[in-house]
Amino acid sequence: MQRTDKVKHTSSQQSLPVRFVKQYGSVVVFFILFIFSSLFIDRFFSVRNVLTIIKQAAVTVVACMGMMLILTTGGIDLSLGYTLGLCSIFLGILSIKLGLPAWQAVLLTLVLGALVGMLNGVIIQFLRVPPFIATLGVGYVLFGIAQIFGKGDAYYPLPDDLLALGMSRPLNGLYSILPKALQENDTIQQVSRLPSYVFIALFVLILIYILRHKTTYGRQLSAFGFNRATAKLSGINTARLHVMTYMISSTLVALASVMLTIRVNCAQSNLGGSNYTFEIVTAAVVGGTSLFGGISNVISCLFGCLITKSLENIVNLMAVNIYLYQPMMGLIILLAIVFEVYKNRKL
Amino acid sequence: MSGQKLLEMNNITKYIYDSYGMPLRNTTIRILDEVDFNLDQGEVHILVGENGAGKSTLMRILGGEIPPDEGEILINGSQVIIHGPRNAQELGIGFIHQELNLCDNLTIAENIFIGKELRGRFMMKKKEMKAQAQVLLEEMGIHIDAATLVKNLSTAQKQIVEIAKVLSYDCRIIIMDEPTSSLTQKEIEILFRLIHQLRTKGISIIYISHRLEEFEHVGDRLSVLRDGRYIGTIPKEKFDTDTIVGMMVGRKLGSMYQNAHIPRGHPVLEVKNLQLEPDSAPITIHVNAGEVVGMGGLVGAGRTELAKSIFGYRKSYHGEIWYNGERINKAAPNTLVRKGMIYLTEDRKAEGLILEMNVSQNISLASLFKMFRTGLVRMGRENKLAEKSVDELSISCSTVSQLTNTLSGGNQQKVVLSKCMATEPRLLLLDEPTRGIDVGAKAEIYRMIDHLAIQGVAVLMISSDMPELIGMSDRIYVMRQGTVVGEITNKEEMLQENILSYTIGKENRERVSPV
Repeated sequence: MQRTDKVKHTSSQQSLPVRFVKQYGSVVVFFILFIFSSLFIDRFFSVRNVLTIIKQAAVTVVACMGMMLILTTGGIDLSLGYTLGLCSIFLGILSIKLGLPAWQAVLLTLVLGALVGMLNGVIIQFLRVPPFIATLGVGYVLFGIAQIFGKGDAYYPLPDDLLALGMSRPLNGLYSILPKALQENDTIQQVSRLPSYVFIALFVLILIYILRHKTTYGRQLSAFGFNRATAKLSGINTARLHVMTYMISSTLVALASVMLTIRVNCAQSNLGGSNYTFEIVTAAVVGGTSLFGGISNVISCLFGCLITKSLENIVNLMAVNIYLYQPMMGLIILLAIVFEVYKNRKL
Repeated sequence: MSGQKLLEMNNITKYIYDSYGMPLRNTTIRILDEVDFNLDQGEVHILVGENGAGKSTLMRILGGEIPPDEGEILINGSQVIIHGPRNAQELGIGFIHQELNLCDNLTIAENIFIGKELRGRFMMKKKEMKAQAQVLLEEMGIHIDAATLVKNLSTAQKQIVEIAKVLSYDCRIIIMDEPTSSLTQKEIEILFRLIHQLRTKGISIIYISHRLEEFEHVGDRLSVLRDGRYIGTIPKEKFDTDTIVGMMVGRKLGSMYQNAHIPRGHPVLEVKNLQLEPDSAPITIHVNAGEVVGMGGLVGAGRTELAKSIFGYRKSYHGEIWYNGERINKAAPNTLVRKGMIYLTEDRKAEGLILEMNVSQNISLASLFKMFRTGLVRMGRENKLAEKSVDELSISCSTVSQLTNTLSGGNQQKVVLSKCMATEPRLLLLDEPTRGIDVGAKAEIYRMIDHLAIQGVAVLMISSDMPELIGMSDRIYVMRQGTVVGEITNKEEMLQENILSYTIGKENRERVSPV
């Protein structure tokens, strides 16, 4: 017995680089992509462009964190894009039509997000509907509601107090106390103008990192995604965990919706476009999240978002046909899934 | 009824395999050890033995599902090598599994012809298949329309369809694995009548069963396997309970069982008139603090269902479950774990471990709520707990961050047990705690169970391993057909014979009327 166990260890223990690539593959891929693009694509490597990518990725990161948590349970949220639209319209109605102060409008929008998540979670957990179908169905209902209340219109411009939540420049104060010489530095000038929604995304990222990797919730979530029976028999309240995960996720989507609405300064039901859900799933899967549940990593997911946004940026810069972006995303998600199956196969 | 030997299986040996799929030839433990088995034309040959005696393995070899490592199989005197289930069918061997393999949404005819549909140029010849199937059913004396959907049939009728399916490819040998386990008395009679009819046609049947009361009604000869060895064959005239039970038992008890604990007075668990199914007989049991209570019976007797019902993982009917003076009928596992109850599953891979997680994460899984009240996991503390368990149970792993799917079965089981112990339980429900693990690991686990009982933990241990049941238990309950049929409180009466006679229902042997 002793002897056979020893043999097993050597076969299961992999070298550090291999393990790093397995866990943080997207980080490696991002840097390769970044270096090649900097070398071969005009105007890619500039402070302005890099900051543009970061700004574009900010909203994606927030929504992607939610999707990542759901994918970790082994489920999927196909209502994500519609939730985004509904929350946007809701925010528009509250703040423009009803004239609520910004903090109230945002808070109510987040509550709406949580309710949508609860609906998804309850249907999946208690009515035993597969996540795929449940969220797709709920998504269409949400889309319909958004259309009815939005009357197909968009609400704009947003009130100033709401815009300030996302568009103010929190680093400006810091910038103004810098010495003159540094103030004239172009890079520092650009960075100081980063809008607050980027920092909201950063805050969410840290929060979800702790939630996913440092708390008992994160551990139980992973256990649930790997093996529900074991999780339940180990005394984990799996029903609560499951529904709660959908609620957290949709709340994050609502937050992403608020951020995006502010960013485009327009509340509309088709916010983010028709492929938003797919874009987020792609970012999560490229970020090493398993579609079979259990495996996910916040840092990898962040880089998954950066990869997808960089590619979008590259397509723009190269001034090729914009529709190239979609088939490329399709190809990438397929590749990512193939890679995932390959890396997680039982050796 | 008599005649030439239709089938001979000589010196069939099957080794235990390690996790790399290599046979372990140089151990004394084998799944099958030079087993001989033969079958006459037109006889019903009963095969008996305890769980794990090797009956199923022997039959799976004959059915072509697994190859033997050594030995030969002769049919009508000429040696054959069975390459797979298909090949077995071609040789005239039909295997009817305990769990029936029928497609519920297809008709009887479609099920009978599945995989060998009659085809015209383009289409299936549905009418012809139906007609042929109908003829087959009529020949067996069963009058059901062959176009009936299988899901509308009773279990017995499904069994008959399975037999028809087997007969449709001219089988000469039919293997029936526990065919009566889910049949009612009336349905059993129909089945027996059919078996007799088949026998008169010269078809031979290998009949695996645990039900002693059926044997004399159905069998011509009976062979016994024990611990992978062939014990002997007796003719119908010698069928009596004592002879058969005597052949089935006969192992010596080892000395690895520890019994330093002393049962205390007050009951921790009380189950009163609980019904596992709406129509099953009520169960009343209790487990005291510091007591190890054994739960014997055959696989499928409802032992796992009882444990899962107590643990709130499964629905139960009527009755009451009391735990430390509190009624817990509707409590879920998560509440019960917080109250100090834990269940160790019989299926460690599907329900006990998270195979993709490491040793340390698995051990702490059930006690996260207790170790980290703030909700933040501290790896240092977690690993310390795991290292302590690794020491206590001598789990062999390189580090506590080794993934559990790379561990051997015994070590995996120790990890699951460590997980249960980390919750500091007051009631431990153990379901086959030593299934499929080696002797060394078993001894460690027995030591741990005894250790827990000394501390006053109440233990309910389900086991199919007789020596273990007798060696470890202060009291033994025996289950059969979804209810508790016997309790043995006296250490002197804990004999394999006594337990076996409860499990196979010696007292009900008169219930079956002759066919």
